[in-house]
Amino acid sequence: MGPPALFIEEEMALMAVAAKASGSRRKGFSESLYAYGYITPALVAMVFASFVPICFTIFVAFTNWDQSHNALVEGFHFVGLRNFRTILSDLRGELLGVLIWTVAFAAIATTINFFVGLFLAFLLNNPNMPERNFYRTILILPWAVPGTIMTTAWSGLLNVNFGPVNTLLNQLHISAIPWLTDPNWARFTVIMVNLWFGYPFMMTANLGALQSIPTDLMEAALVDGAGIFTRFWRITFPLLRSATLPLVISTFAFNLNNFGAVYVLTGGGPFSLGKVSGATDILPTYTYKLAINLSLFGLASAYAVVIFFFVAGFSLINMKYSRAFEAVD
Amino acid sequence: MIEKQTPQQETGAMSGPVTGAFGGLQATGIDLSRVRSKKRLRRDERVFLWISRVIIIAFALVILFPLVMVIDASVTPGQTFFVTSVIPQTVSLEHYQNVFDPSKTPIGTWLKNSAIVCLVTSGLSVLLVTGMAYAFSRFRFFGRKYGLMSLLLIQMFPAQMSFVALYYLLNYVHLLDSLSGLIVVFLGGGIPFNAWLFKGYIDGLPRDLEEAAYVDGATQFQAFWKVILPLTRPMMAVIFIFQTIGIYNDYILTNYLITDSGKYTVAVGLYGFLNAQFGQNWNDFAAGAVIATIPIAVLFLVAQRWLVSGLASGAVKG
Repeated sequence: MGPPALFIEEEMALMAVAAKASGSRRKGFSESLYAYGYITPALVAMVFASFVPICFTIFVAFTNWDQSHNALVEGFHFVGLRNFRTILSDLRGELLGVLIWTVAFAAIATTINFFVGLFLAFLLNNPNMPERNFYRTILILPWAVPGTIMTTAWSGLLNVNFGPVNTLLNQLHISAIPWLTDPNWARFTVIMVNLWFGYPFMMTANLGALQSIPTDLMEAALVDGAGIFTRFWRITFPLLRSATLPLVISTFAFNLNNFGAVYVLTGGGPFSLGKVSGATDILPTYTYKLAINLSLFGLASAYAVVIFFFVAGFSLINMKYSRAFEAVD
Repeated sequence: MIEKQTPQQETGAMSGPVTGAFGGLQATGIDLSRVRSKKRLRRDERVFLWISRVIIIAFALVILFPLVMVIDASVTPGQTFFVTSVIPQTVSLEHYQNVFDPSKTPIGTWLKNSAIVCLVTSGLSVLLVTGMAYAFSRFRFFGRKYGLMSLLLIQMFPAQMSFVALYYLLNYVHLLDSLSGLIVVFLGGGIPFNAWLFKGYIDGLPRDLEEAAYVDGATQFQAFWKVILPLTRPMMAVIFIFQTIGIYNDYILTNYLITDSGKYTVAVGLYGFLNAQFGQNWNDFAAGAVIATIPIAVLFLVAQRWLVSGLASGAVKG
């Protein structure tokens, strides 16, 4: 904030007087009218792209809407809670595996990203290293590239037969690794590629938090003869935790719903016979396939409603913890 | 100057108002390094410094490897996967020529589609969001509290799951399979989150500014347009850039709502392009990916220093 901010400071005294003089002349009814005027354009856009689709999805969740029963073909009707009952009974089948992998993926990916990011931030936050901004710019690059395009590139790089990674390993006399075609390797690959994209965020967040730690604390510990690692575990880490926890929680929530990381890389596969879900399918990709491949729109919409309640419940707890609602007065 | 008056909390710029990111942090870092670099390093500091450098450089090489592989593939002549060395022996720009030759690949068209959708949506979005955020920040009106809460809730609905509804809706208004349809969908979808972000920013601007404008005889709209709007330019830039990056990356909605391959965006187009004929398309894909990445990477690197503080204040503070 350059010149405008300076201007603010100069005018500040004048304004305090002016504010008193004008009092509260724009209150009440006319204030509401103004407010609605400013909100309406955005609201119109939201009605079409958010309100109506959400209501429609909730509506469809209670119908038998699929390929042969829908508004265009005729013959769809309310089925009550049938879709939700299907979800519950799915829990004994494929859904359980998908759910476990969804939570495991989000938890593992978030944890690894956090600690790799923290480690790099710790190394970079060294005032004796004059070129650290150069390293930071290099290390942040994976965050800067467009995710979908680079994930597509990763799927090519890791192709079992032709991928450059395996070609290179072959030259080193290491036999081809089934990165995306073996269930366990595919799970490992999804987490590693997610790490490639995800650690720069954690590194930046941790670096910001590290730099906000008062330096006199460090100087004091230094005088007392504390080494680098003692200082880190006794001073830095406790202070860091409170600063970065909200970001870790929201990254976890984001990864629960990280469609692109899975769908674009593996398509949810590899698949075994007779199952809709593959080894790396997370809940969003699984439900997407229910809708796209099997045209079970009613069921997929019911899943959307369930996911919404999960995400909303999770976020409410998170916000209560971080006191976001205090802003809503 | 505003930010200097804000007391630095324990968490510093992370949880502070967005304005905090423009000053404080960088300044502290630079001052510190200047003070330190004059001192002679102790032995353990020197050892730690060099170990750090080795680890960081090794890590950076591993991280850069896939990027280098893609760039390699894009300049390797002919259609081949086989990498013989990290630095290619012969460099050819034939794949870059293919990208912009509509008779060879449609990638150029996809890039153009992406540019249209991203720029139009983000531009309109900034305008709409500014108005909404201003109203929520400055006025007390009927429905304000529940309006704000609904914005939060709507933002949590899995956007990718309302694609069935969006499909029928767009079909109904004859915008299915068109870029305008995509623009309408993205425009509305991004508003709730951005409005929260922007409201937090306007909350940080002193109200006295507008009161002074009223005293000088400004109308309500003039106070908004001529006083508040110019001050929010940094935030407008941030929202514009991150909205652009988000739309550029979308796969689910675009893939479902667009079936005509001539109307694909570059993310969806390249995905299908690579998977259609992996063997023949890898090098052209790589050239397309490089071209598609550069503008976004540049935008991102310009805006990244605002990202963390912006996200933190949007997601945590509201």
